[in-house]
Amino acid sequence: MPPSIHPVHLITVLRQKSLTPAIVFLTSRRSCDEALQAFEHAPDRLPPARQESITAVLDELTAIYPSLHDHPLRKIVTACGVAAHHAGHLPSWKIAIEELMRRGCLDAVFATTTLAAGVDFPARTVVLTQSGVRRDQDFTDLTIAEVAQISGRAGRRGKDSVGFAIVTPSPYMDLGILIRGLTGRPEPVDSQFIITYPMVLNLLKAHPLDHIQSILAKSFAQYQMNAQAVHLEHRIEKLHAKLESYKPRECSDWLTQWSAYDHATRQTAMKLQARRHHPPEVRARLPYLTPGRVVAFPRFRGIVLRRYRSRGQRHEMVTILRKGGVMAESPVADVMGVIDRTFDFAPAPAFPWATPEALAWLTQQLEDLPKHLPLLTVPPAPDEGEGELVKSLGDLFPCPTCPCRPTCGKEFKAANTMKQEWLHHTRTVQSLRTGIWHKFQERADILQDLGYLDPAFKLTADGEWARLIRIDFSLLLTELIRTQAFHAVTPATLAGLMACIAYENDRPASFPRITAALANLVATARRMAEALAPYDDPPLLRADVGGLAERWVGDTTVTWAQLCRSTSMAEGDIYRLLSRTLEYLSQVHSLQATHPDLATVAAEALSRIRRGVLEELP
Amino acid sequence: MTRDEMERALAELPFRLLRRLGRAIAGPLALRMGKRRLIHTIMAGAEANGARIEAAIRTHEAEERALAAGPGPAAPASAEHRVERPADLRALLEGIGVPEPRPFVPDDWQVEAVEALERGDVIVSVPTGSGKTYVAVEATRRAMHEDRTVVYTSPLKALSNTKYTEFCKIFGPELVGIITGDRRDNPAAPILIMTTEILRNLLYDAAGGEIDVRLDTLGLVIIDESQFLADPERGVVWEETIIFCPSQARLLLLSASIGNPQELAAWLSSIRPTPCHLVRHQHRSVPLRAGYLHPNGKLTPLFRTVAMPPSPSQAVLHPEAKRLFTMFEEDTLYTRRSG
Repeated sequence: MPPSIHPVHLITVLRQKSLTPAIVFLTSRRSCDEALQAFEHAPDRLPPARQESITAVLDELTAIYPSLHDHPLRKIVTACGVAAHHAGHLPSWKIAIEELMRRGCLDAVFATTTLAAGVDFPARTVVLTQSGVRRDQDFTDLTIAEVAQISGRAGRRGKDSVGFAIVTPSPYMDLGILIRGLTGRPEPVDSQFIITYPMVLNLLKAHPLDHIQSILAKSFAQYQMNAQAVHLEHRIEKLHAKLESYKPRECSDWLTQWSAYDHATRQTAMKLQARRHHPPEVRARLPYLTPGRVVAFPRFRGIVLRRYRSRGQRHEMVTILRKGGVMAESPVADVMGVIDRTFDFAPAPAFPWATPEALAWLTQQLEDLPKHLPLLTVPPAPDEGEGELVKSLGDLFPCPTCPCRPTCGKEFKAANTMKQEWLHHTRTVQSLRTGIWHKFQERADILQDLGYLDPAFKLTADGEWARLIRIDFSLLLTELIRTQAFHAVTPATLAGLMACIAYENDRPASFPRITAALANLVATARRMAEALAPYDDPPLLRADVGGLAERWVGDTTVTWAQLCRSTSMAEGDIYRLLSRTLEYLSQVHSLQATHPDLATVAAEALSRIRRGVLEELP
Repeated sequence: MTRDEMERALAELPFRLLRRLGRAIAGPLALRMGKRRLIHTIMAGAEANGARIEAAIRTHEAEERALAAGPGPAAPASAEHRVERPADLRALLEGIGVPEPRPFVPDDWQVEAVEALERGDVIVSVPTGSGKTYVAVEATRRAMHEDRTVVYTSPLKALSNTKYTEFCKIFGPELVGIITGDRRDNPAAPILIMTTEILRNLLYDAAGGEIDVRLDTLGLVIIDESQFLADPERGVVWEETIIFCPSQARLLLLSASIGNPQELAAWLSSIRPTPCHLVRHQHRSVPLRAGYLHPNGKLTPLFRTVAMPPSPSQAVLHPEAKRLFTMFEEDTLYTRRSG
């Protein structure tokens, strides 16, 4: 069995059950196109009457949109009554498909899930084939709102008494997501408010700085954050009340006092811990095990060369020089006795821990030692327990002698957790209340440093025109204009650069070559974007896409078909790239008053872009 | 059961059961094995686990027989909490077709929304396709009567264009204009269709002193698809537009079903001079039914009931759809693993 249903089979079934017209949502443009291609080999063709009605509608639309005239998909749409509708198509083609759907001429449209919002035509049935959608590079689950958007297309008012959402499985599909989407409540809408540079400039143009905070407070973001803050404040109050209940104490700030005491205790305990591994008699011996000391083991004697502890080891070790120059490593616990004799020698930082001469001399000395030597009587080690610590802390911490100490000790842990939570919430509330305003100030400071705002946060001459550029990466564009990067630029090169800035997709494709002038300009823009990176995320600035806009603007004899042939990009994407370029250019064009030369070039580029397919369409 | 018999019976077992068996015998490693290797592994441990394997095979066979026999005598056992029989295909497809043509009568909520606009701002949050456009058109008509201008914004140029054509048909092309990033038709018209970005820019220009005459007479701002407020990249534009919208103009926010329309309404009420009225409902004007279509062409209802379950927790899959989907999952799981 094939992993998922064959498109021709799917439509046949839908027709049989009279579930057409239908919109089939597929994952990618490619799968839409492939589904449509599958119909080329299918035997089913529409009855002539219906074919004629489709042709009639298409002819009617061709009068408005000439690019429909010899559209390659016309034939198959007319013959089979199915079509594909996705972002790779020209808007005129999409409009034609939508019109055909509205008039009920088509049986099915294959559309991409990504553009569910842009599909603005209803059908009797929608077919869901996936539970995920491709976003940028990722594949993410459909949200409830998205499934609702898709299923909302099912059922035409006045034409259907029932609408259908049909789920057909495909590999990797998660039925649970679709069920949740079909039956669940949509997600809440959350604010995505950010402070942009044009926003700062335009706000400061209209209002003095001290009014801004109250304007920003009107945002939905602030409204939502205030709600959160109120919730947290409520919690803070509760915590405060609980903390109050731990009073009264001897000292005013028992939690801070106790936490200092607790900290010191823990620190000392940590230090003590290492030594506690040794029994008291070994611990008592430790201070004597210095380099040069003669020590006795059960069966031999030796001279300590060094004392050390390897990382991760509990026990301290000594390196021992034995009779005949033999070196041995031994845990300190194995040392049986300390002998009342030491040798001074020159130690070395690495094995064998003494200079060769010293080693030879020590070996000799060891040989020469008398057979019986008195053992040193080692005084018992002082007890370094709790009592000792408390004594050593002295007056620094009053807690040990405080009458509240047992109570504090018992309650400290719970109260401290509460206090930490309280502190955390207090900080969060503060940032919720003032976060947006601080962000605004931050951006305003940057604009001031760059010279768009004067010290009193009024717009400078540069700021006055810069506020008219209200697009993404506005800062990059205005800085480029200020540094005269567009001096003597041609319309084609300007359009090329705008296309580079506007295009935010890193999908690989082939494009016409760019000219040296555009390459230079893009390089300048890249350097500028890099310099501005701390203030604003740099755009992708792909040089290759610029070639398309440059060619279209540079050579007005290039036809749309020729332009499409020069790249591997889909028609719809080229259209969108050029229309985005148009938007960017018209922003530059709005600078007539201050930059007449540049605005003229932009106007020229604008008029050259608007031809052929780009002119016929709204 | 001989070794050969057992091996053949294992090959018949669904992958799900095989995995469970393999896991019991060979540990979690079995989760990464294909069908053939699983059978091999199970057979390698057959000496020690013969009884267990046989039991698994027998249980499965018994279940198969029970399924083939249909809901036989086992069904009455649960008589006290009797469940309704799951809907069948006929019920799912019943009533399909074109409804009787009826004269258009606006729904109550549509009337309510238009009337509430007399008193203040309005948010309409209703399912897709239930007739938000009617509210927009009717509100526009009323504003026109009072000689006020209207701005209609939508997130996409394509939608703006569709609306432009639609409004041109209703109000006549001389009264409707459109401004988008790359199109300017009749920009002095009393009804203006634009993208939200354009309106935001207009509002900034007005605030900056380059007074746009239209903004003084602006009576109504319709913001379509206002759930775009949550769009990570463009949402900020919607917020700016709403914040800077002149106070004398009424706001009409049209949105698909969203989770927190009350919150939006409360926000609007807090920043605008007039209180905001919320119109919301979940009722679809054309009822929706869900079906499940198996790749082999078999169509069944998706849920036990023909009507859509009211919430995910009450959504019970149709037994047939569940069976087919499980089957599909097993098949694709298997091909993916061996492939």
